[in-house]
Amino acid sequence: MSIIPSARADGALYWQVQARRNIGVRSLFLVVLAFLIAYAVLFPGLFTVSGFAKFTQSWFPLALVAMAQAILMLTGGISLAIGATVSLGAVIAATTMAGPLGVPGGAAAVALAGLGIGAATGFIVVRLRLPAIVVTLAGSFIIGGAALLVLPRPGGAVPAWLSDLLAGDTPAAFVLLMAIVLLWKLYLATPLGLSLYAAGENPVGAYRSGVPVDAARVAAYAISGLLSTGAGLFVAAQTGSGDPVIGNAFTLNSIAAAVLGGIGFLGGQGTMRGALAGSLLLSLMISVMFFLGFTPVAQYVAQGLIIIGAVAIPQFRKVQQ
Amino acid sequence: MKKSSFFASASALCLGLVLAVGVGSQANAAAKCVKGDRKAPYTIGWANIYSVPTWMKQTQGTIEAEVEALKKQGLVDKLVVTDAQGDANVQIQQIQSMIDSNVDAIILIAGSSTAPARVIADACAKGIAIINFDSLVDTDQVTAKVNTDSSQWGDQAAKFLIDAIGGKGKILILNGPAGVSVSDDRRKGADAELKAHPDVKILAETNTPYNVAPAQEAVTSLLFANPEIDGILSLGGALSAGAVLALDKQGRDQVPITGENARQFLELWKEKGLKSWATMQPNWLGAFATYTAVQALEGKDVPAFVKIPLPVIDNSNIDQYLARAKDFPADGYIYSPYDEELFKKLLAQK
Repeated sequence: MSIIPSARADGALYWQVQARRNIGVRSLFLVVLAFLIAYAVLFPGLFTVSGFAKFTQSWFPLALVAMAQAILMLTGGISLAIGATVSLGAVIAATTMAGPLGVPGGAAAVALAGLGIGAATGFIVVRLRLPAIVVTLAGSFIIGGAALLVLPRPGGAVPAWLSDLLAGDTPAAFVLLMAIVLLWKLYLATPLGLSLYAAGENPVGAYRSGVPVDAARVAAYAISGLLSTGAGLFVAAQTGSGDPVIGNAFTLNSIAAAVLGGIGFLGGQGTMRGALAGSLLLSLMISVMFFLGFTPVAQYVAQGLIIIGAVAIPQFRKVQQ
Repeated sequence: MKKSSFFASASALCLGLVLAVGVGSQANAAAKCVKGDRKAPYTIGWANIYSVPTWMKQTQGTIEAEVEALKKQGLVDKLVVTDAQGDANVQIQQIQSMIDSNVDAIILIAGSSTAPARVIADACAKGIAIINFDSLVDTDQVTAKVNTDSSQWGDQAAKFLIDAIGGKGKILILNGPAGVSVSDDRRKGADAELKAHPDVKILAETNTPYNVAPAQEAVTSLLFANPEIDGILSLGGALSAGAVLALDKQGRDQVPITGENARQFLELWKEKGLKSWATMQPNWLGAFATYTAVQALEGKDVPAFVKIPLPVIDNSNIDQYLARAKDFPADGYIYSPYDEELFKKLLAQK
C-alpha cells in the first residue's frame, strides 16, 4: 500500500494511519496471497461460481468468529465462550426456523440470543471488574449446557431454501461477509466504535479524556455475541440441521485466527483485516494441504509450521531493525 | 443403394437408442449415487474424523490393506486420506475438497450425525459412491451405511452375564461417557434382559471415558462400598480391563465380566482365568466399506444398510484370538479375521 503525497491532508493522514496499521500484517497478507495462488493453481474450479461459493462458505463461519474474537481482543478482552455461542446459535436456528416462528422469527431469536448473551457477559466483565477469561470460561459451560437443553441430540431442520440461499451454489456468503466488513467500517466511525481502540490500549487515559470506555467494551461483547450466533445460524443453514456441539472447535480457532492476524492480547493492537486474513489462512491451509496430498500426520506438522512462520516473520523484521 | 444405407443408418440409430435405454436402465438398477460414468481404476477418499485413537489407526490399516489388494486387481489407483482432527466443520470442508478433486468414492466415519448431510448429498448428486460406517449420518443420500448394532451388543452382553451368574445376583454396570450415542445405545440394549430378571440387582452404574485408568478408579471406589459383587456388566473393553485390574489390586476374587476385544483385556482374561464374553466393533469395517464402494462403482447393487453381525469371543475361542495377539498393537484391538469371501457374504445378505 503506497502513500500518495499529493492527496488532501486528511486523506493522506488516513492512508498513513492505515499503512502503519498494515505493517504488522503485511507478511501475513503475502502468505495468504501465496496460498490463494497455490489453491487456484491446484484447483482451477475455484474460478467457477459454485467453486468460489463453496470455498467462501467453508471460510465464512471462521471469518465471523475471528471477527467476534478480534473485537473483544481489541478492547483488551477475550472470550472462551465463542464455540458454545456458535453451537447455541445453530440449535436455536435449527429448532425455530422450521416451526411457527419461521425464518424471520428464528433469525430474530438467534440475533437476540447473541446480543443478549454478549451484553450480559460484557456487563459482568466490565461492571463487576471480573477477569474476562474466567467469566467466559464459566459462560461457555452455561451456554454449552443451554445448547444441549435446546437440542440434546443432533437434529432439527433449517428450511431447504435458506440452506440453498446461504450455502448453495451462489457466493451469497461472500456478499454477506463483504456487507459485514462494510458495517464494521461504519461502526468504527461511530462514537462507540471510535472508543474501541482507545478503551483497549489505554482505558484510564481514554476515560479521563471523556471516552465512554465501559459502554464501548459492553457494546463490543454484545457485537461479538451477535457475530457468534450469526456464525451458528450459518452453520445450521450450511449443514441443514443443528448439532449442540458443532461449534466447539471455533473457540480455539477464533483465537488462533485473531493472533495470527496480529491482534495483541493486551488490547488496542491489531486490525480486523488482519484477523480476517488469519481466518482465511486457517481455512485455506486445510484445502491446499488436501490438494497437495499431504498425509494427516504431515498436515499436523505443516499446520504448526505455517502458523509459527506467519507469526514469526514480522518479529524477525523488527529484530533486524 | 442410397435407400439401403439410409435404412442401415436408421436401424443403427434405433439400435443405438435401444442400447442407450438399456444402459440407462442398467444404471438405474445400480447402487444409489452411482451413475455408471466412472471407470476403474478408482480414486478412493477416506474422510476420517479423528486419526489419533488406536482403533482409528487400526481401522485405517485395514483400509490401506484393502486398497493395496484392489490396486493389484487394477480397480483402485489412489487412496486420499483426510483427518478432521475431531472438528465436524473441517470434515465438511475436506469432503468438499474431495468433491472438488473429483474422487470416485468417499468412505467416512462422521463427526456429527447431522452436519455432513448436505455435503454428502452434493457428492451423491455428482455420482460419487459414498459408504458411511461406524458413526452414521442421518441421510439416505448415501450408497450404503455399514455398522454393527449397539443395542444388540448390550442385549447379548446382558444375556451372557445373567446366565453366568445363574440368573440372580448383584452386579455393577460400567458404561462409556454419558450422552454419547454408542454408549447410550449399548446400555439401552441391555435393559430388556435386566428387566426380565428381577433377581439381578444393579448395585451401581458408572460413566467413564473408554479408558483403563478412569474405569479402574471408579470400580475401586465401588469395591470399597460393595463387599459382595457377583458379576460386572461392562460395555467397553478398556472398562473391563480397568475393572479386572481393580479387583486384582484389592485382592478380590474375579467375577464373571463382559468386555470387548481390547488386547489388554483379552490378555488379562487369559492371565486371570476369567469366565468372560466379549464382542467388538471390527476394524475391518473400514476395509469392508472400501470393498463395498468399489463393488458399487463396478455396477453391482449393494444394500442401503449392511448390518454386520457381532463377532463373539468366549472361553471357547479366546485362544485363537490370543494366538494372533503379536500382530496387533499392545493398546489395540484384536479383531476377527476377514477375507473377501466374508465381504461377499455380507453384501449378499438382505
